[in-house]
Amino acid sequence: MADETKPASGDSAGLSNGLVSHGDHKSRRVYQAARSLHSGAVKDLLSLGVCERCIFRLVSVEAFDSDLSSVSASTLRSWLESGDEEAASSEESSCCIVCLGVLQFVFSDAKQTLVRSECGSDYAARVTDLVKEEGHEFDSFGLEVYVPATILENERAVLLYLKGKYNSESWLQSEKISVKDALKVLVLDPLKVSLGAKSDSSSFQIRLTYSKASDEAQGASETTRERKKRKTGMSRLYDHHITWLTLLFDLVAIYISLYNEENGSTSMSENSFEKVYEPCILSIHCNKMPIFFSGRYFKYSRNVSQTRWIIDDERMGEASVEVVHLELIGGNILPACLGDSYKFHAAGREDIDVRMLGSGRPFLIEVQNSRKCPSQQSLTEIEEKINKSEKKLVGVKDLKFIGSQCWAMMREGEAEKQKQYAAIVWIARPVEEKDIDSISSLKELKILQKTPVRVLHRRSPLERERTIHWMKVEKIKGSSHYFLLHLCTQAGTYIKEFVHGDLGRTTPSMGSILGCRAEIIQLDVTDVKMGDS
Amino acid sequence: MAENPETDDTIETTKQNQSEEEVEHSDEQKQEDELRSLLLSDIGDLPLSPPSATQVNFVSYFITDFTKPGHDQYIYRHANGLCVIGLAPTHIAFKDEGGITNIDFNVGKSDRSVLKVSGKRKKNAMRSESNTALCKVSTAKDSYIVRCCVKGSLLEVNERLIKQPQLLNSSADREGYIAIIMPTRPADWTKNKESLITLEEYKAKKEVSL
Repeated sequence: MADETKPASGDSAGLSNGLVSHGDHKSRRVYQAARSLHSGAVKDLLSLGVCERCIFRLVSVEAFDSDLSSVSASTLRSWLESGDEEAASSEESSCCIVCLGVLQFVFSDAKQTLVRSECGSDYAARVTDLVKEEGHEFDSFGLEVYVPATILENERAVLLYLKGKYNSESWLQSEKISVKDALKVLVLDPLKVSLGAKSDSSSFQIRLTYSKASDEAQGASETTRERKKRKTGMSRLYDHHITWLTLLFDLVAIYISLYNEENGSTSMSENSFEKVYEPCILSIHCNKMPIFFSGRYFKYSRNVSQTRWIIDDERMGEASVEVVHLELIGGNILPACLGDSYKFHAAGREDIDVRMLGSGRPFLIEVQNSRKCPSQQSLTEIEEKINKSEKKLVGVKDLKFIGSQCWAMMREGEAEKQKQYAAIVWIARPVEEKDIDSISSLKELKILQKTPVRVLHRRSPLERERTIHWMKVEKIKGSSHYFLLHLCTQAGTYIKEFVHGDLGRTTPSMGSILGCRAEIIQLDVTDVKMGDS
Repeated sequence: MAENPETDDTIETTKQNQSEEEVEHSDEQKQEDELRSLLLSDIGDLPLSPPSATQVNFVSYFITDFTKPGHDQYIYRHANGLCVIGLAPTHIAFKDEGGITNIDFNVGKSDRSVLKVSGKRKKNAMRSESNTALCKVSTAKDSYIVRCCVKGSLLEVNERLIKQPQLLNSSADREGYIAIIMPTRPADWTKNKESLITLEEYKAKKEVSL
């Protein structure tokens, strides 16, 4: 054991093994911890090919902490050894049989070049370069690490071996930090410095994925989490078997090693570690949680095409709402965010041949993995660009960035609220004053609507009660059979069916109220009420 | 003259508020006017008598003398595949004095008016072939069987007809429809279609016979 003389603060002093200890008190702590490890176990593990930091992890009683990060592997090695061996240089470049180089800060990059770092900050610098390539703007990050499953197996094998030899030792009984967590402990602080950001469970995640070189050949760079996701049915049974088998093998191995110990031989367990170990391939992926923008949209196009009804050789589904024109909105926001993709959510929807006018319909744009957040100024510019576009198919209002309260806002617009419409209606006889009066006097009119024929193929056949809150009739100049009908209804009311009656399946209908046939020529949404607005 | 600055000020502000309100009003008015002009932007071409909802949304087919002479029915097929079945205007039931007086859905093995189809997948719908009996309409003179004409699932029958059979006389092509059937497979419909005739053909045929 080395001389335990503590050097005077700030001065360096020589120690018996010739090493100069740093004035740094962190390194001193590590040095002392290294010297206090069970030397027999350390020697065994070193000769097996376990790296210095893994040895620290497995043999130390003290917690594995970030102080280790600043000590280079070679320094650590010399502190672990009892000082009379110079084997340091020969073993230096071999890959750890447990962590496969992960804790040695060795990895293969995308171009298959081997990258080595001496200490945590050097490693952090290389990771930072790769993160910067992804182009995200951020001031805080969360760190995730994925390692290949074989590391766990390697560790289990080594622990078994240790248990075989040093079963009763106290340091063996404590919980060992995993390779994944150990890496996080080592590099988190240097990364914070190198990236210039805080660390928290934030919306921006940096994922370090280590994978085995042979896995890459199959193109399987799945993370363990992804593999876990695939477990269904038979494969789950299979894994269950694997767990039992592994347990069985472990028991057998323990028995064998115990037997061997009794007979004074541990060579068999040592031989079982003869394998070729390669450093892993590291890939870095950065992901930002989705960001949201809200606004109200207007739809000015009435995409009516007469030919769609005549295609009857196959069952043609009802023309679903084409939000093709609305893609304009997302299509302009996505490049401003430098995102991967976006999703468009609207508070309700209108048919393809119905325009959205008046106050507009609330919508949300969800952008995946945005690299930067556009300013309000640029959002206003996007809004103007869309509104001034030649084709005048869509309009946007109040486009702005919105936080997590967005979903509550959307839900508000869905089921409970009232909607206002304007329809051009034709009736079989001329409109009279008494018609106007009788319609306007109907307040909170309850109607019963059977599922309209046009949606009956995809919705349940039900009878739905709905309320028409109020109606107003405006005569149209130059026409006695047509009038403009303004109405305010409960959400979920089928307006077209209310006007023409849907073969009598909606009662009462405009036709039944006026006592003649009624048809709807045109429908527009004029207001989507949301809460107070 | 005693100047009372406070009152003067308040008068000033009220005047300002008033004019602000007026500006707001005229803004709202402007918006409303804009909206109205948008709403009425396409009315230049309003036809005197527009096509009915049925004509716009459905394709009309007819079948004549189905299983028996004079049994003419219509099949209105929607773009989504659903077929509305009813009596064509030349059905012989209409020729009887007093028209149709009664309808009975209890034909064949079950009462069609009590079926309860539920859910998007239309559970419990009765499977029908083209010659499955749908109902029986009776006049003072005789009664006639109405059949499905379409192979598929029977989604709905018009049970309003039970209480108001006169709907068949007044508007057999709208409120007097008899049933809605959903063909189960596109192939079924294509085969069915072969025995049906279009509106033009129907008109021509009936003109000749009249």
